[in-house]
Amino acid sequence: MSLTTHEKGQPVALTINGLAVDASTDMTLVEAAWHGGVPRITNIGCMEGVCGSCRVMLRRGKEVSVGLACQTFVEDGIEVVFMPPASAPQHHYDIGDLKDGWDIHARFHKIFPEASRCRHCHGCNTACPKGIAVEDGVALAAAGRYREAGETFFECIMCELCDAACPELIAPAHVGLFSRRVTAHFHLRPPNLIHRLEELRQAHAIAPQDKKDEEENHADWPAR
Amino acid sequence: MSNGIPLAEALARYRADADLGPLPELADIDALLNTYHPDHLRDSVIKLTVGANAGDNCQRELAGLLQAEAFIDEADLAGTPVTDVDVLVIGGGGAGCAAALAAAENGARVLLATKLRLGDSNTVMAEGGIQAAIEPDDSVQRHIQDTLRGGHHAANPALVSAMASDGPEVLRWLIDQGMQFEQTPSGDLHTRRAGGMSTARLVHCRDYTGLEMMRVLREAVIQHRSIEVWEQSPAVELLSNETGQKCVGAVLTSLLDGQLRIVRTRSVILATGGLGRLHLNGFPTSNHLGATGDGLVLAYRIGARLCELDSFQYHPTGMLHPSHLAGKLVTEGVRAAGALLVNGLGNRFIDELQPRDVVCAAILRECSEGRGIRIDAQRVGVWLDTPRMERAQPGLLEKQFPNLMARTHVGGIDPRIEPLLIHPTLHYQNGGAVIDVNGATTVPGLYAVGEVAGGIHGRNRITGNALLEIISFGRRAGIAATTNRDRGPKKVTLEHVNRLRRALTLAGLPMTQRAPQILPDYAAGGAWNR
Amino acid sequence: MEPLIVETPQVGASQVLLHADRRVGADMERWRNSGGGTAVARAIQNPAGIREEVRLSELRGLGGSGFPAWRKWEAVSAETPKPDKYLIVNGNEDEPGTFKDRLLLEETPFQVIEGAVVTALAIGANRVVFYVNPDLTRSLAAMKAALKQWQASEFPVQTSAALGMPLELKLLPGSGHYIGGEETASMEWVEGRFPFPRGKPPYPAQSGVHGCPTLINNVETIANVPHIAVQGAAWFRALGIAPGTGTKLYSLSGDVLYPGVFELPMGTPLRELIFTHGGGLLSGKPLKAVFTGGPSSTLLTPVDLDVAMDFDSLRARGANLGTGAMIVISEGTGIVKRVAEYERFFAHSSCGQCNSCKVGTATMSRLLDRIDTGRGTPSDLNTLENLCTMLPGSGRCHLINGAVALLDSAFHHFHDEFKQALR
Repeated sequence: MSLTTHEKGQPVALTINGLAVDASTDMTLVEAAWHGGVPRITNIGCMEGVCGSCRVMLRRGKEVSVGLACQTFVEDGIEVVFMPPASAPQHHYDIGDLKDGWDIHARFHKIFPEASRCRHCHGCNTACPKGIAVEDGVALAAAGRYREAGETFFECIMCELCDAACPELIAPAHVGLFSRRVTAHFHLRPPNLIHRLEELRQAHAIAPQDKKDEEENHADWPAR
Repeated sequence: MSNGIPLAEALARYRADADLGPLPELADIDALLNTYHPDHLRDSVIKLTVGANAGDNCQRELAGLLQAEAFIDEADLAGTPVTDVDVLVIGGGGAGCAAALAAAENGARVLLATKLRLGDSNTVMAEGGIQAAIEPDDSVQRHIQDTLRGGHHAANPALVSAMASDGPEVLRWLIDQGMQFEQTPSGDLHTRRAGGMSTARLVHCRDYTGLEMMRVLREAVIQHRSIEVWEQSPAVELLSNETGQKCVGAVLTSLLDGQLRIVRTRSVILATGGLGRLHLNGFPTSNHLGATGDGLVLAYRIGARLCELDSFQYHPTGMLHPSHLAGKLVTEGVRAAGALLVNGLGNRFIDELQPRDVVCAAILRECSEGRGIRIDAQRVGVWLDTPRMERAQPGLLEKQFPNLMARTHVGGIDPRIEPLLIHPTLHYQNGGAVIDVNGATTVPGLYAVGEVAGGIHGRNRITGNALLEIISFGRRAGIAATTNRDRGPKKVTLEHVNRLRRALTLAGLPMTQRAPQILPDYAAGGAWNR
Repeated sequence: MEPLIVETPQVGASQVLLHADRRVGADMERWRNSGGGTAVARAIQNPAGIREEVRLSELRGLGGSGFPAWRKWEAVSAETPKPDKYLIVNGNEDEPGTFKDRLLLEETPFQVIEGAVVTALAIGANRVVFYVNPDLTRSLAAMKAALKQWQASEFPVQTSAALGMPLELKLLPGSGHYIGGEETASMEWVEGRFPFPRGKPPYPAQSGVHGCPTLINNVETIANVPHIAVQGAAWFRALGIAPGTGTKLYSLSGDVLYPGVFELPMGTPLRELIFTHGGGLLSGKPLKAVFTGGPSSTLLTPVDLDVAMDFDSLRARGANLGTGAMIVISEGTGIVKRVAEYERFFAHSSCGQCNSCKVGTATMSRLLDRIDTGRGTPSDLNTLENLCTMLPGSGRCHLINGAVALLDSAFHHFHDEFKQALR
């Protein structure tokens, strides 16, 4: 069963990376690119809209927008340019350095100083292929509401299109991810997991021979 | 016998409230598997002729790659830039990132080379969750037993024990890195029960567990001062010492400019993932674009022993429609939540929570015997009855399975209203490189972690063990790799390639095919000039 | 950019805006002594007459558009105040290589103020905003001092009486963003918001600041108005070289001996600007290219040395006079690095409203940077070429068009240099 088996849809003519490609409806831009033999496209990954690799700029008529190639279907006359990979992140932090979380607000603004300078251009919202309210998410993080900010970014696939679209260089996707990470790092302390970890710690503290005896005894007991 | 009921007709006939009839008895599991499971297809399995597994069964197409010619010669390496590092990790998914972080935490300078973009992997698509024995009525022992039984008792118990024991600590480490999980109102981690589990053990983040894990690990790797990442840099060959017995590095190429680079190191950790994009036996796959089994080829060539090369997991519910999602998964969690499998005649035909290989074989039987739903001669499937589930549990799909809803929405399908047409899809490599509890292969200096490693899942992986395995063994290998304190390689050679060439020639095998595959042919488009 | 040397022109050339008599700074006395105020009197007498002279003079928008000034004037003049009418004098000058407006504001503030007041009387505007780049501290100081003296003089009462309502003058420092110089963006800033271009329609003449009819003119355009009002259109036309009329302040910079602002007849040949007035290229190196206008336009090359630097002649060459900035580079300067530098400026300046512009310029800038630093691949070059095809016309304002025109032109003339730089 080859990937390129297709319902015979309507013929569609489009341009990908400057090359004229003949495709048919129901093809995504990725399938059309392969079908047309467009060379040197290497930023394709999961093909189901969850890895954020296949970033493209698209032109329909006079409108140019950004999106994901695997989630966009071909249209007659559409122009597509595959974007180069994102540049290295400009905001550095080690989650292990963040101490106990009481000064997280100050640390956030030191790591992401631009986040408080949003100019509300809405470019990030327009760019996001997942329809995330990016600008709101950044505002929440800047206000110190990391859990809520992180929840806003729940569906974020880190395609970093919002980063490319931000004139203040806020890097919203990384702000969102930071918000999610600190929420788990500082606040996620599940009783069932903690209890089991303590049990295992105590079991390992017992001398090896005793431990072996214990295990053999356990095997005779019914499951709890 | 016709080839199934046409799609339009089947959709018109479909009723979310129809009587599905009684569930038929599952009489002879072995007979079902032997007749219908792709692993048992006639001619799909041959015996390897050369290498550490000579004489063992191997899927035919994979055997072709394992016993293929290399891309490069010593002469190609003249004037190639060389980089020296403490640990080289090949592969940028969950296992690769876990290994890199563990090695770096232990003081190593790490280079992580990945074929595509860091995070492009099967990990990022994982929906089900991660297993860990944390509930009071559960135990590590039970987790071990479930895993061994699910794998048909072919796994290495020491490996399974190591992985299951690591479970709780893996979760703690992930949370420390910043990964979130679903919680109950009381704050416990929410656990689900799924196929092959005797109790609720699957911890998850809605149906985005893999995405949540991958984005956290990817960020942690990018931020780590001791880890350098080379993207668009697949490995085309490993390097061995002068006797060809030890792995001392790798040759990488760049998909951007085609130039070779040599990396010399004390330890190489293969984390190259699966091989779904080889489309074994002509099946569609759930895997990401780069899953072409490169690590397996490289490991075999340098002399590593592999296992279970004729055992692959076909996930029962791969989407058949719309075509751009062909092969892509509907998570087992949907069945665990109560969705039923329904054939073209409107009847149930198998217990949905049987192990995956059994469910697959049952679906293939329905399709083969004319009771499937047909798009065309090559594409026949059965229904995953999501509307019925939505009726019984309104809002569940939207709340618990946003990933599924998002993907189908793009294709104009609403699983709350329309049943999903599904067919088994090539999903996971059950076997792989033989390793010990530290992820070390049979070749000194070479480690293998994640899907490319074998001996953990026997002949069938149960859900949630893949995400556990990658972190558990990724970290074990990362730590173990830093304990290697020798002075590093004096000489790097392709001696192991010569050894293979000799063997292939003496065995009379053709040398026309070259490996590793790097990218499937339909995507190569000039990116990788053979 | 700091204003550079103002070069005294060769004997025989006419000088109006930068004449020694005009360059008195905020000295109202000296300004009056050299005829300052006469134009105001004319405007009070016959505002319609002023508009007619401006029409006949073919004065163009000298901030970059080249649009005939009288057309915008007529459009605003025809509108009724709602309840106000605005004139914005655009001194937000911020692009590389342009440094003429700051000079006029700093050294001839009364010339600009008089020009603005005359314009306001001519079109019936009661609110005048002098909108100045906040980094131009000396220009702002001069305008502040000049306006203080103006407010204390007889002019406010006289002009308000003639208008039939108070004529208010205000000095407004800009936001510091290049994009604020775009017409509709300036209105956003005047209304107190971030200067995002609004896009047209509606046109400022019909609905501008607070929905009122609004005229936006560049500082240099406005500075010409008093002289046209007093000396007439025929005099103004004769200053230029047909089809150009009047004079033009050319900002010359780059690899020349005498960079600076030169007031010359509109339509002066490029060769004359560079070699006669600019002293030729440094170390006598051959001319390689000239970045025109801002640098949001196509390059000129040695074959263009005899082109007349007026709007129409350059348009016929497929180029654009723009602000009259000419950044000259010799064979000793690399195109790739210079283009990368200017595209970085555009990427930085994109306001963010339109994904196509922000992502487009950011991508172009990054790829050029990679190429310039030895990390570029053939794929990168291909992507840049494809973006040049895709992006024009896709933004709400013209920033993206200028950014693309520059790169496209550089590819056209110097493609090999880019290819050589690939790794």
